Amino acid sequence: MHVTNKDAILNELASIVGKENATASKHIRYAYSYDMSFVTPKMPDYVVMASTVEQVQGVLRLANKEKIPVVPYTAGTNIGGLTIPERGGIILDLKRMNKIINIDTESHYAVIEPGVSHAQLASALYKHNLRFGWPVGPPSASVSSCAISHGIGGLNARYGLNSQEITSMEVVLPTGELVRVGSCAINPEAWHSVLPMPQMDGLFKGWLGSTGVVTKLGITVHPIPPVLKVFTVSCQNVEDMVSYMMNLSNYEICDDLTAVSWWLAQVPIPYPYKPKPENAHEWFCFANTNSFTEKEKEARVEIWETVLEEEKKKGTSIQVTQYPEEALRARTHLPSQIVGSTKNYCKQGGAGISWPGTFTPANKWAPVYNDWKKILIDHNLSPSIRMSMYRGVHYGMLRAMIPFNKKSAKETENARQAIVECLKVDLDHGGMPYKPPVDYAIEINKRAHPGYLLLLKKIKALLDPNDIMNPGKLGI
Amino acid sequence: MKWNISTLEELEDAIWRCTACGTCKVAYDYGPPSQCREICPAGTEFGFEGFMASKGKIAFARGILSGELEWDEELVEAVYKCTICAGCQSQCQLDHKPYIPEIFEALRRKAVEAGAGPLPAQKVIAQSLRSYDNPYQGPRRVRTDWARIFKKGKQKPIKDINKEPAPLLYFVGCTGAYNVPERVIPQATASIFNKLGLDYGILGENELCCGSTAMRLGDAEAFKRMAEANLETFKKLHEKQGVETIVTACAGCYRAILKDYSLADEYEEMMKGIKVIHVSQFLYDLYKAGRLEFSGPLPWKVTYHDPCHAGRHLTKFLVDKDGSQLWAGAYISLNEEDCLYDVPRDLLKAIPGIELTEMQRIRANSYCCGGGGGVMTGFPDWAQRNAALRIQEGMETGAETMVSICPFCHYNLNQGAQGIGSPMKLLDLTELIDRVLPEKEV
Ligand SMILES: Cc1cc2nc3c(=O)[nH]c(=O)nc-3n(C[C@H](O)[C@H](O)[C@H](O)COP(=O)(O)OP(=O)(O)OC[C@H]3O[C@@H](n4cnc5c(N)ncnc54)[C@H](O)[C@@H]3O)c2cc1C
Ligand code: SF4
Ligand code: SF4
Repeated sequence: MHVTNKDAILNELASIVGKENATASKHIRYAYSYDMSFVTPKMPDYVVMASTVEQVQGVLRLANKEKIPVVPYTAGTNIGGLTIPERGGIILDLKRMNKIINIDTESHYAVIEPGVSHAQLASALYKHNLRFGWPVGPPSASVSSCAISHGIGGLNARYGLNSQEITSMEVVLPTGELVRVGSCAINPEAWHSVLPMPQMDGLFKGWLGSTGVVTKLGITVHPIPPVLKVFTVSCQNVEDMVSYMMNLSNYEICDDLTAVSWWLAQVPIPYPYKPKPENAHEWFCFANTNSFTEKEKEARVEIWETVLEEEKKKGTSIQVTQYPEEALRARTHLPSQIVGSTKNYCKQGGAGISWPGTFTPANKWAPVYNDWKKILIDHNLSPSIRMSMYRGVHYGMLRAMIPFNKKSAKETENARQAIVECLKVDLDHGGMPYKPPVDYAIEINKRAHPGYLLLLKKIKALLDPNDIMNPGKLGI
Repeated sequence: MKWNISTLEELEDAIWRCTACGTCKVAYDYGPPSQCREICPAGTEFGFEGFMASKGKIAFARGILSGELEWDEELVEAVYKCTICAGCQSQCQLDHKPYIPEIFEALRRKAVEAGAGPLPAQKVIAQSLRSYDNPYQGPRRVRTDWARIFKKGKQKPIKDINKEPAPLLYFVGCTGAYNVPERVIPQATASIFNKLGLDYGILGENELCCGSTAMRLGDAEAFKRMAEANLETFKKLHEKQGVETIVTACAGCYRAILKDYSLADEYEEMMKGIKVIHVSQFLYDLYKAGRLEFSGPLPWKVTYHDPCHAGRHLTKFLVDKDGSQLWAGAYISLNEEDCLYDVPRDLLKAIPGIELTEMQRIRANSYCCGGGGGVMTGFPDWAQRNAALRIQEGMETGAETMVSICPFCHYNLNQGAQGIGSPMKLLDLTELIDRVLPEKEV
């Protein structure tokens, strides 16, 4: 039999991970070629499943030697086409590295492998009355992929981004070496802190899998305060909502301080665009607070009431309201199958969803929203927009969740154009896109300080001399 | 007879509702306490996306419909690496949810039409259905071997419904009749019926396969042949022999007669005056009516395994067909009234001495035994390995016995237990009831 180079590579991969864990079958490659985003599907050449660190090292050494691209993959739900291989190569599926290595109930951290899902960790932590910042994404998606991609969870107003919860890391470099950052680098048993050493975890956070493969991750976990109180308000315009959120955020009493436009409060988001009823408020906000005692809750209530009074005195349209029940459940019962399955977003739209997801200063939310609204409505898309405040600072997530009918190439392209247009507006206002698809990366780089790009390229070249890790994603 | 069995093309819109979110990969329940475990036997065994839950099969369906994938040996095999357990369906929340197992079966029908499916080992089933009217290659006369014990001693022989009238037809099913270790199920069922003094009969050698296996394998023609013949028989038995109820102890037959047969235009007409019921529901109704009194005690610690076919497969979905409520094709809600979740549990709890402890994955989140969808024939080793996983889950509860209401689960789970040398046994609910049901005083 004629053995092609492709066969030879497959054989080598099989010898590393086992025959049943390496494939070049077209139908399997096809299943990894697309996600829910507008990003054009592309096929990998191989898919391998690793279950040990040594296997990950073996795959990367081989790929580096042969200069084959490698795309780390856990569940592919990032909504940005980030695991769609730009240049073919190997999809390195890590779902079988799914051990919860340790939950340190005294020091409050957990050590996990990349395949550990939100649902898996949530149920394990729950036994110890502990929690983490669960995103509103699929319960089956990876905790570590979310954290290393600067993911956002339900505790971001209290503790910051999920990436800020990272305490330690073990990583296989593109060239196959095993490295560690954080306290575990000095004492293999100590996974509690990424400080006070040089913060080298930054080499692997926000890089979209382009600098190495994280094989173990330490994250902070927190006690579950038993008393949940959600403050819900609504108002007629974005300016009033931003004013209320900035005010409330000063007191740092919320785990999650999020506002959604009327369209995002609908279950599901209307597709195509549907006008809001005249009498309905345009903005809704839920502020989740968790307290250890009733008294603590009462103190939070007191603060919230003060804020409410102040906002009313300013003449804003803020008023206490009922938040739609299912939508509220999806925000407080996390991880959530309802919202994670994209039901709240896509049920009417069809198989597609994408976002311009950004970190934007709160004082720019209103002008950006007003522009986004126009752009989206012009494209017959609902302005289903979310604003979330972080840890008392006045900046946070501003994003539009845009469902579309992925069966139609035309409707997909329409959504892509609208979203990229929105993104440009946000970039012009100082916003920063997160988990950016290549389309966004290009826009970011167009505006970047030359020194940023220089450093980015230098680090990338240092860690990944053959540019094998998720190549093309950074738009460089 | 005209059948409304969907083609893959007809399901294309549904296929394009899947967002590839992957929520279908795990059985997750917020609780509290929150719980999470694997739900997909294929994904658990083979791992790659593609094998994993609906997301994967829907990818294959898209590829076949768009022409980006073509039938080759590996793809055909992948399409049959699925127990059609519908575990993934239970997790999904989008508009194609009601059609998920149908999409998989339509994909298989497409493979069969293309001459590519089913797998060689499974083709024997279709051949056997043609030659013997059962999937087990068993001669027709063997069909009643299980009933021989009723011809001995004081036992009352079972009525041949072809010859004598009776209001109740016990539809035995091929697995109980031909798969030797499974004969305990019809034997226990008939013994219970005898003890209760019921007027019932069986079709004996004239019984035909319900066609469930053929349907699950995508062989719509074989299914229709069996189903049409059975519907004709049922109608005739109703008119000539006074049959009003068809009772079956097989979850597969039950699902087929209740659900798959209803895809025939003439279903209502053929089944007029006849009701089909699973034996567990039948006995439960008698129990509720005070006609089932158990002697005891049976001091056993048991756990209950929900078979897919008697559980979540019987979920009814409300869909906005004409767009009058949400939009055309919107999935609105589900109704579990037909799912046999509480009935077997309530019967178990009614048996004096029984202590029922639950596994983590139950009811709509039950973990499939691994035997369905042609997997036991196509991939017997995998079926057994998967069953062992379920047995292990049962053992985690501290139970010594697992109970179920499906001969397929019965066979496969016992195989699984043997495979790992587990002392756990899988018993059918009828076996337990038969033990504690006293002989009727005459
Ligand atoms: C409906 C919906 C809602 C969502 N809501 C949120 C939300 O609220 N907050 C949020 O943060 N996210 C959200 N997401 C996005 C996503 O679900 C989460 O971020 C998720 O945890 C990502 O995990 P994954 O397993 O899908 O990662 P993948 O998509 O598989 O990977 C993400 C990125 O990480 C890289 N990567 C994966 N594993 C490794 C590794 N071990 N080492 C190095 N690089 C790696 C990949 O190459 C890719 O670039 C949402 C998604 C959906 C569909
Ligand atoms: S079948 Fe449903 S749950 Fe599974 S990936 Fe598709 S949309 Fe998500
Ligand atoms: S039906 Fe069962 S085996 Fe098939 S994909 Fe769904 S969960 Fe997996």
